[in-house]
Amino acid sequence: MSYAYLFKYIIIGDTGVGKSCLLLQFTDKRFQPVHDLTIGVEFGARMITIDGKQIKLQIWDTAGQEAFRSITRSYYRGAAGALLVYDITRRETFNHLTTWLEDARQHSNSNMVIMLIGNKSDLDSRREVKKEEGEAFAREHGLVFMETSARTAANVEEAFINTAKEIYEKIQEGVFDINNEANGIKIGQQHSPTNPSLPGAGNQAGSASSGCC
Amino acid sequence: MSNMFSITNIKNRFISVIAPDIPPLPSAHNHQLHRGNISGAASNYQLRMAHQQKKPDKFAYARPRFLQLLTIDELRASADHNVRPIIVPRDTNLLPWGTGYAECVNSGKSEWNEDQAAFARQVLSDPTHTHPDLPYTYFGIFDGHAGYGAALAASHQFHHILHEKLVDCLELLLSRESDNSNQESVFPHPSQFHRRVSKDELIIGALESAFFNMDSLLAQDRDRYRDAGGCTACVALFINGKLFVANAGDSRAVLSQRKISIACVEKKTTSTAIVPATSSEAGADIQEVFAVPFSFDHTPETERHRLLTVARLKPHLMEKQYAAMEYAKRPHMKDLGQRILCRQGTMKGWTYKTLTREDLRMPVVTGEGKRSRLLGTLGVTRGFGDHDLLAINTGTQIKPYLTPQPEVVIRDLSKIVSIPDENNEDGDYGILVMATDGLWDVSENDAVARTVFQTLAKYPTEKHRYTMVAQELVARARGKINDSGHWRLADSKAAATVDDISVIVIPVYQYYKEHVEWEKKYAELQQKRQSVICPSATEAREDEIFLVNGVEKAHVEEEHEDDEEEEVVVEVNRQQAQATIDLEEERHSNIESIKEVVELVDNELTEAISALYAADSTEDDKNSEKDSTVDTPEKTNKSTQQQQQHHRNRNRKDKR
Ligand SMILES: Nc1nc2c(ncn2[C@@H]2O[C@H](COP(=O)(O)OP(=O)(O)OP(=O)(O)O)[C@@H](O)[C@H]2O)c(=O)[nH]1
Ligand SMILES: [Mg+2]
Repeated sequence: MSYAYLFKYIIIGDTGVGKSCLLLQFTDKRFQPVHDLTIGVEFGARMITIDGKQIKLQIWDTAGQEAFRSITRSYYRGAAGALLVYDITRRETFNHLTTWLEDARQHSNSNMVIMLIGNKSDLDSRREVKKEEGEAFAREHGLVFMETSARTAANVEEAFINTAKEIYEKIQEGVFDINNEANGIKIGQQHSPTNPSLPGAGNQAGSASSGCC
Repeated sequence: MSNMFSITNIKNRFISVIAPDIPPLPSAHNHQLHRGNISGAASNYQLRMAHQQKKPDKFAYARPRFLQLLTIDELRASADHNVRPIIVPRDTNLLPWGTGYAECVNSGKSEWNEDQAAFARQVLSDPTHTHPDLPYTYFGIFDGHAGYGAALAASHQFHHILHEKLVDCLELLLSRESDNSNQESVFPHPSQFHRRVSKDELIIGALESAFFNMDSLLAQDRDRYRDAGGCTACVALFINGKLFVANAGDSRAVLSQRKISIACVEKKTTSTAIVPATSSEAGADIQEVFAVPFSFDHTPETERHRLLTVARLKPHLMEKQYAAMEYAKRPHMKDLGQRILCRQGTMKGWTYKTLTREDLRMPVVTGEGKRSRLLGTLGVTRGFGDHDLLAINTGTQIKPYLTPQPEVVIRDLSKIVSIPDENNEDGDYGILVMATDGLWDVSENDAVARTVFQTLAKYPTEKHRYTMVAQELVARARGKINDSGHWRLADSKAAATVDDISVIVIPVYQYYKEHVEWEKKYAELQQKRQSVICPSATEAREDEIFLVNGVEKAHVEEEHEDDEEEEVVVEVNRQQAQATIDLEEERHSNIESIKEVVELVDNELTEAISALYAADSTEDDKNSEKDSTVDTPEKTNKSTQQQQQHHRNRNRKDKR
């Protein structure tokens, strides 16, 4: 499917805050109740429409565990947007935001749009971080803020789409150099001379006999 | 604009394996120019190229299945040349024994990652159920060049071919004759045949002939499919409590090992200081980490002798364009008539000769180390494919110099002593690191071994600890990109690898543990059977002796077996049938013609095997006298396999 722009996103934040769940909810509209620890990085993609234009979001869901931190740093490069996620039921995930933000600012391009997300808003009874605290942190650091629930899908669409809107506006304002792919923005394929047409790679999933890869 | 980047990529796609030192190709669109441009035949040549372009891919480009990068979007993200993400299996249970894997794409020399990896778990089962089943596990790593086709085909097809080869000598491999002895198993031989053949040799032969078959398959496929380029192949086969590594090309398998010895503190006295013997800390274990190569790189430099022998024996291959010579310094026109230091043919040392016009031809082998080139073009001299590869500038055929012949290294795991108290199984049995040259170009074997054990120490209990090792190895070799867009190693400012990197990290002990458990379970089953069958033992023996011949024997056996076992048997057959169907489904893998080619290539081997088959009756008679019981197919093993299959299917659904 053709698109006008491709935006690259990265999702960051402590382990267990719900990064992978947010992605799954956004791309597949479902929820995964067990914590399937992310190892390394996983990818998701979805098409959205902004201002009548087809925009493809390519989303990098990173591993939150400390062990992956140094590798994750190398992924900020070339991201147009970042979702920085904490868990409203675990204060320490909120406390770590400063470190995450430092990392992000240091290793990303300066125009990267950062959306702060307080996730698990459905667990209001176990809330440890007030909504106002999230808002204050966002204001202080110039971030967009939103509380979401990957379980009920509340605000999940909005979080991803609003980030895209911000990026889109920046493009309109001429802030982004859209010709530099390192900024995480790609203009849709007008022509692709080099690609030897790549048929869907998912079609070889069948074949179940041998324990082959 | 954004496409400018990828055009440059294609131009540079051969830098690592094929001639890095040639100027950029003149036309961005004709990226097949590496085949050489024979001026006279240009139009003809272009026609052929145009024809080539129209042919379809045999396999759609994909990453190894266990990575579950199932959508084109995921594939594209994983091939981000600016960021080079390190990809690991999102479900580490898909690989056996906690085996780790990580990969990362090149920095732009080719649009896609041209490395591939594969694994397969299979069971060799005796259709007559005389012998216990023999499970095996295979891993393969393939580094493609001049396209992704060959490596992709190998990752899809090699294990099927290998399975066929193992099935070919099934009876000999399963024979229990040596099961109870530690001795190297050898088969009795009829007097007219003058060689004894061991099981090991049969497995080596299966590997070797599978390598040749894979190469022929790629040759045949050229009629129907887009030129696949070529690839290296490094394969590990775990079977019968042993590890076999077969390698062709410059990918590499290295066993990382660690020895633990208790420090002798008292002896550590020097003239000035006396180390207190009571210090409990000083008495701590001393660990020695070291690397044992399990393969040998095949490059123009390491294979100089073989390549020059080919050139000397078949001078026409050089087409009067090359010289079976090597010069200490590149000779020029102006040097004609002067003395020049050289070595001729397969000489090891150097000598002077007077330079003639003939000497101005390009040497068959040029350059040193990683930059050594065959016919000024190719940097790797064994592997699959490259059937149409022509030398740069001269258009000379390169394939006759190449061979798929692997070198095979064996490790008998039953011979390894590991003291349980030391908790050093990973060190004693070793961690097998298989990787493409993306890793080895910038990492010494010993440094890799150290990283292996350092990383394992950091993650002592994690189920995905071997994946962490693989990830760490890739991360170090890939390095970091600096502000001017160059990839640099973290600890030094040296250039990091810009090539594709793929790493498999196999905890060998975990295989051996599985193998020992399997043997134990098998022995238990065997005993149970014996006690059940005991009353009718005589009868059974009669049957055995009477019906040595396959089909009939199986028939009689099933009468003896209870329902449950029959089910297992059916399941085995179904699995085998499925495997066969799969093989046939691999588009147009023409097995008949593979066999022809292999018969030509491995004439000797085939002879040996058929001679052994001829001796079958003698051997079977002997066996049946000895084994009065009917062997049961191992159940546990199969159900593990099914479980894994099931798990994988479920996971695929769940995940995406
Ligand atoms: N109730 C509730 N649970 C959630 C929500 N989002 C995630 N979870 C749960 O939180 C746990 C962790 O979610 P993940 O998405 O796997 O966490 P992650 O941030 O990707 O963690 P890492 O991959 O280790 O970095 C899972 O058990 C989820 O079911 C939410 O919005 N509400
Ligand atoms: Mg996650």
